Order: sequence, then structure tokens, then C-alpha cells
Amino acid sequence: MNILLISLYHPELVRGGAQTIAYELFQGLRARPGISVNLLTSIDQTSPALYKAGARITGFDGRPGEFLFLSRDYDYAWEKSGDEHLAAAFEDFLRLLQPDVVHFHHFMTFGIDYLTLTRRVLPAARIVFTAHEFLTICAANGHMVRRTDQSLCARASAVRCHQCLPVLPPEHFFIREMWMKAHLAVVDVITVPSRFMIAPFVAWGVPVKTLVHVTNGTDLPAPAAAVTREKRNCFGFFGQLVDVKGVHVLLAAVEILRAEGFTDFSVEINGDNAQFATPGRRAELEAFMAAEGALPFAARRVTFNGSYHPDQLPALMARIDWCVVPSVWWEIFCLVISEAWHFGRPVIAGDRGGPAERITDGVDGLLFGIGDARALAAIMRRVSTEPGLWERLAGGIARPAGRDEMVEGMAAVYRGGGVSRLAAA
Amino acid sequence: MPVSDNPFDEDIYLRLNPDVRQAVTVGAFRSGREHFERYGRAEGRPWVRPESVVRDRVVMTGRPVRQVLTAPAAAVDTVQVSPSGALFVVGWVDDAQDPLESIDVFVTSWSVSFDAATLGRLRRIDAEGSLGRAARHAYGYWTFLYAARPLASGHCSVILRLKSGTEASFAVTASSLDDHEMRKIVLAHLAGAAYFGNPYFLGVAAIAPAIGAQLVAFNQLLTRRALQSPYVERFGAVGRRYRGSIIVCLYGKPEFMFLQMAMFARQAGIGDYEFIYVSNSPHIAEALLREARLCTRIYGVDISVVALHGNAGFGAANNAAVPFAASARLLVMNPDVFPYHADFIARHDAAVEGCPAPQTDLFGVPLYYDDGSLMHAGMHVEVDRLPHLGAGARAPTQVLRVEHYGKGAPAETARFLAPRAVPAVTGAFMSLARGWFERLGGFTQDYVFGHYEDADFCLKSSAAGRTAWLHDARLWHLEGKGSARLAQHEGGAIVNRWLFTKTWGQTVTRDVIATAPTRLRKGAGRRG
Repeated sequence: MNILLISLYHPELVRGGAQTIAYELFQGLRARPGISVNLLTSIDQTSPALYKAGARITGFDGRPGEFLFLSRDYDYAWEKSGDEHLAAAFEDFLRLLQPDVVHFHHFMTFGIDYLTLTRRVLPAARIVFTAHEFLTICAANGHMVRRTDQSLCARASAVRCHQCLPVLPPEHFFIREMWMKAHLAVVDVITVPSRFMIAPFVAWGVPVKTLVHVTNGTDLPAPAAAVTREKRNCFGFFGQLVDVKGVHVLLAAVEILRAEGFTDFSVEINGDNAQFATPGRRAELEAFMAAEGALPFAARRVTFNGSYHPDQLPALMARIDWCVVPSVWWEIFCLVISEAWHFGRPVIAGDRGGPAERITDGVDGLLFGIGDARALAAIMRRVSTEPGLWERLAGGIARPAGRDEMVEGMAAVYRGGGVSRLAAA
Repeated sequence: MPVSDNPFDEDIYLRLNPDVRQAVTVGAFRSGREHFERYGRAEGRPWVRPESVVRDRVVMTGRPVRQVLTAPAAAVDTVQVSPSGALFVVGWVDDAQDPLESIDVFVTSWSVSFDAATLGRLRRIDAEGSLGRAARHAYGYWTFLYAARPLASGHCSVILRLKSGTEASFAVTASSLDDHEMRKIVLAHLAGAAYFGNPYFLGVAAIAPAIGAQLVAFNQLLTRRALQSPYVERFGAVGRRYRGSIIVCLYGKPEFMFLQMAMFARQAGIGDYEFIYVSNSPHIAEALLREARLCTRIYGVDISVVALHGNAGFGAANNAAVPFAASARLLVMNPDVFPYHADFIARHDAAVEGCPAPQTDLFGVPLYYDDGSLMHAGMHVEVDRLPHLGAGARAPTQVLRVEHYGKGAPAETARFLAPRAVPAVTGAFMSLARGWFERLGGFTQDYVFGHYEDADFCLKSSAAGRTAWLHDARLWHLEGKGSARLAQHEGGAIVNRWLFTKTWGQTVTRDVIATAPTRLRKGAGRRG
């Protein structure tokens, strides 16, 4: 079987969940007998040195089977490239490789219309698309968070989308929906990493038979040696410091605990990209960091560690007891949960989306009302003080799906089936 | 008793006019009578015993004195000319008491005189403030003339003459601007005009005497220029014949090409159709050609792009596309129209093949808003009238209004969806037998930018013996989203409303409406 994987960005150039999963899949498929796999990842102006004059698709750093798509002239409003030479190069690339399966892990920087182009060039190929968020449905970054009141959106419509992005008329979103659906119609299978995603897609009009749940899975470095601590009051945040990841909820919880006079805890913030947060949230975060830094060392409760590489995870996870996922959006799958579980750390997370699907409250972690800093503060106080709770929840953690499970699931999809039940309800 | 019947009384006169008594005392006058005869009467000095004065009546005490003429308060805001000979004049004048008679414009090498009856009059709030008047009077004036010959710019004298003969003269500079800019500015001015009353009628009334015809003539010039030697490029198959040619006129928004391609390319049978995109926006031509290449690659459709040199308007642009069509069936379609059903093409073809020619030479389809309600199921024409309540017998201002059947109705309202003859169909989608379209000379090209050509064409067709039909092959129409709408387009719509009414008013009133509005005669309704 000849497979072409297509992904937004290469994870070694730009970090992110979709590209990480695509690369894990690439590595996993490459190790399987009878499968030939190539990976086409995009770059944009974040990697200007990798553009070669006159080239549209090139190799990547001497690695067999890895190629770079040199994206340009991309229109984020309609999710398409206006560069005809790029389209011609992509078409030539497809004709050259003649894949049996073309698996898009994202369309951004390529164009949603490349799905249709692929179908036209390879009428018999199996086209698979993995939805890593709801970008086809939601023009507001695919988060399905209402910008009017920050509530989670369960249903897109022309008027509701216009309310989130009022500069555009309802008709724009009506056309956008038709445009997205026109291209998704050529896809044989849409895979989703979490089952809860199926309902919104079906409600939006995607046939349920097209949707297949395949878990994400990664291979991670071995955990560090277990450390026994008297108190389990160290909390860790892992992820980008952007609004939807909800670090502001965690910091608000810290402020609440301080105001209540409870300071016997610590929080470690691991991540960066605050420059992509909204100005208000960024200013809030920077003010908190400055205020925390001004405190005497012994009074500080929050440490900002900056960005990290997956290889650092054993050390970073070893320093904490609880992993906090305070995301205020659907949090589609949440690789951080897999990472925390891999290192034996129970997760405290908002009670919606991917975390709610994966975590069993009180068994392998704890859930709180999404975005509710006071509820999070209460949980942080409880878990810091309740004897035996950490041991019980850590003991309830099942090993998270790894790369092999994901590869097996995708291979079944490529062969024409699905491996997981469709929990479309 | 009239004052003039009173005898002159020396004592009374001197008592009532102490200064005269003083003058007589010092010998300046021999008597009060002498002063009265020489000056007092003309000065209107009192000379009648107070108890003899007639109350509550005007008493003529001498001949009316002719008032000295003074120049009226007025202004000339702008005098502009364009290279092809368009002239635009704007200003205001206080002629509430003494009506404006004419405006003369003198430049070194040319001059022109405008009868005030041909001017557009409008409300000028700034002039009302300057004059301190609260009267409902349209102080503003403007005019437009297309001379069809070069007019020099530069030093310019403008003389405003009132009925009384009073004049106000101004030395201004006639500035020069590009023909397209001239059209834009004049139409925006028309669109932005304020009136004492309903602009819907008064805008049309303002241009009816002369300006409307001048604007149409000037616009025709720009249309002819825009149509000269269009750039045409073909993408996809060459030399094929098709079942139909879908003609789409684009203005300002090239993205609608790829959006339509994505939706229509999914239709079974679309391979038997070609697309012809005609562009009224030179600045999007490059993007359009690039997108056409992409669309052919991605969707496998055959496309021609006809890029015009300027905005020729909806009618002329569609006419210009027809010679490049390789079929006997023309589907004129707006860029913001998309298929409602997955089998639109099959439904359309079934109508064309299953119905006799009189029902298919010209037909439209039901169109839907994005909210799911009906947007169009044929059109009809209504007449709006504004009576004149001032002095003199004047016919009411009459304006034709085009309405859609079923606008806003629930999607499945059967009486709107049934195939039937209708007075007209929208140009957002028209399916036409090419022979019939060409026999009628295509769309009338006199309309400015767009609007009314569709109703005009349907009425032409009706007059020639083919009434428009409606067949049930549905489409979405996101009305007004396929092009940019600016003030100049609103002005063009006013010109078109006037032109359409002028062209079809009589026919519509006689043949379509067929009834005059009921008026009550004096005494009507009384019994016995």
C-alpha cells in the first residue's frame, strides 16, 4: 500500500498537535511491512530560509520520504492558495507518487480545495481527512467557542457565525459552509481523534458513515524513576499560552487560593507562544508573571519554565503531581493527557470535549466546570490536602494509546474499514 | 374717511412734526405746508389729526417706490469638467422669494446657459443655516451636461439670474477630472442629495427634465469605451459545442468564480456546460485569470474570461460575453447564485427539453435566500405616484417599481413555485434561447451599472410576443453579496429608475396594470 500523508507544518519546524500526530503516524507506518509512505508537510513564512527559488515542493533535510510544500499566497478567509503553480506542482507530485491513499492531517496552508484536486487527479485513491479541530465548521479558528460570551458553541449557523465575526455578513458563512462541504464531499473517510466530535459533524450535515474514530497515539520517552512525596501539591500546566488553553483560569485559581490564605502548593507553567494570545490575555499573563517575580522567592507559588521539548517531559513531569488542563474550548483530544498518564500523573481538567471523554471523574482524574476558576481552586486545595487521593487516582490510570494503536486504527481505515465504534449520539 | 380726503391743517402738521416747526421758525421753510408738499408727503410724515386716523386699513399715501435691486445670497461650490466634455455644476441660491431664472457659465473657449427648469434642486442644510431661514425651500441647485466635445478648464464666470432680473456673478475655477471619476462623483452626488420630501420620487423628479438624459448619454460613452477590444482568454477545452453557456458578470469580487465552480462542478451534467466570466473590474482581471487557470485544473471545467476595460454595466457586459458562447442556450447568472439542489442542471435541462419554445425562450427559476425563504418567483411591475399639491395643474410624478413574487415566503409555497408565465424574471438567473436573445438585441445598454435591464428585457420580450416563464429548478441567491455596492451605484439606480419609467411607464400603466388609481370626484359618494 502506497500512502501519502499531508500535514500542516513539520513538527520540528513548528510545534503543534496535528503535525505531531502526523509525524508519529508517518514513523509508525514506515516501520510496517508492505507499506510505502511519504510525508508532505508545509512551511510558510515562519521558515523563510527553507524556500528555494522557483521550487514548490522540495525534500526536507536529506530525510527519505519527507517533503516540504512551500506554501505561498494563502487565503485564510477561504482556506485556499491562489498560486496556480503550487497547484500544478501538487498535481505533478500526486501523479509522480501515485498513492493508493492520500491522508490529509490538515488543509491549512495547502487549501481545502486540494481535496477536490486530489480526487480529480487520483479518482481511485482513498482520501482520508483527519479533523484535528472544527475548522471546516467554525471560521473562528475552528474552536467553536462563541466570541460573544466565550461559551462553547454546539451548532454553527449563518447568523450565529456572523455574531462571532460581525464584520462578515451571514451570507459569507452560508457560502463558507457550502464551500467546505463541497470539498469534504470527495473524502472517503473523516477520522476524528475523539468520539464527541462525531455529533457536531453529523449535526452539520456530514454523513455519519463517513466519520470514524481513530485515537491519537504517541511514543514517549520512559518515565523517570518514581519519587515518593509526602504531599501531592505540585501542579503542572503544559501547552501553549494562548487564550483557549486557559492558563488564565489556572492563574485565577492561584489568586483565589492565596486570597483564602492557602499557599501550600506550587504551580509550574510549561509552554510559550504567548504572542499568539489576545492582547488582553497576554497583558494579564505578563502582569501576573511580573508580580510573581517581584515576590520574595519563598512567597512565589508559580514558576514559568518557558517552552520545552518532548525529551524534557520525564524531568518536567517528575516535578509535579497533578497535570492541570484548564482549556476553555472543546480541547479535541489533548495529547497532554496522554503525556501525563504516560508519566503516571492524574489530570485535573475542564468537564467538556476531549478531557471529559477521556477522564473518568474520580477514577483517573478530576473534572471541574469548564472555565470555572473557583471550582478549580477548590479541587487544587482538596487534592493538596486529602491523604491518599493522589495514590488512588494515579492507580486508576490506564496506559494511554500509543503510536501502535493509532497506526493500527489508521491502517484499518486505509484498508476500507474502521476500528472503533461510532458513538454518534 | 380716507386720509387723502382730509384737508391739510397747518397747526396739526407743525404739532405732529416739531422738527418742521423749528425749521419754519428759523426760516428754512415758509410754512409747514411747503415742507409737506416738498418732503413730508414723500417721507410719510403724520399730518392728519390723530382722532381722524382710519384704523385697520392700509392707506395709500403715495406711489410705490421701486426697490433698489441687490444681488441674491448664493454660492457656486464647484464647476468641474471632464476630458470628454462632461460638465458638473453645484451651488445654492436664495431664490425663495425671487425664483432662479437661469445659470450661465462662461469659460474662455466655451459657454453654456442652463434654464432653471432643467436644474436639479435639493435641500441645502448648510445654506439654510447660513441664511438663517427655516423655510421649506430647496436652496441647492446642480446640473450635469454631456457636451460630447472637449471643454477647457480654468477661469470661469458663473452668473445666476433671478426672475426679477437680479444677478449674482461668481469667478471660480473650472477644475478637470477623469471621465470615470466624473461619473462616480455625479452619481454619488445624486445618491446623497437631500430633499424636502421622499427621495424615492424627488430624486427621479430632479433628473427628469434634463439631467437624466445627459447622464445616460455620458454613461453610454463610458460603456462603449469599456467594451472596446476586451481581453479574452480560454481555459480548458477549445472548439467544443455545449448544451449551454453560463454567463456570469463579475464586479469587484473575483472569489465568486472559484466559489461557484466548487458548487456547480459537483452537478451531474455540468460537463456539457461552459462558463463565461465577464469582468467589469479591470483591477481584478489578473486574479480572475489566475483563478480560472486554478479552477480548470481543480474542477475540470471549461472557462472563458472576458475582461473589459472598465465597468460597462450588467447589460453591456453580458451582451459582450455572448459572442464567445459556444452554445444555443444562454444562462445569465449572478456571481452570488449557487445550486439549491444537487440536480439543478438536470432540472434545468428537463425544462428546456420538455417544454415548448414559448415557455423556454426566456425563463427564470425560484431563487432562495440563505435563510431558506423564497427570494424570487418571478417579477411584476408596480406604479408609484406622487401627486403635486402646489399651484398649477401638473401630472403626478410616476415611478415604476419592480417587485418579486413570493419574496420572503416559506420555501415550499406551491403557488409561487408552479411553472407559469410571469411578467418578468430577475437577471440574477435567466435561461435564454440564444436566437431569441439576439433577435431582441440583447440587454438594453443604456442603464447605468445595473438594475432594471432584466425587467426591461422581459418587457421587450413580452412586446415581441414571448412572455417570460418560471420553471422549478431552484437556486440560492445571496442578493447583493456578489459585488461591491457604493454610493455611485445608488445614484445609477436612480437614473435607471427614471429611465425604466420613461421607457415603460405608459406600457406598464396601459397593459400591465391597466387601471388608473381611483380618485374621488367632487360630490362623488353623495346620495340623493
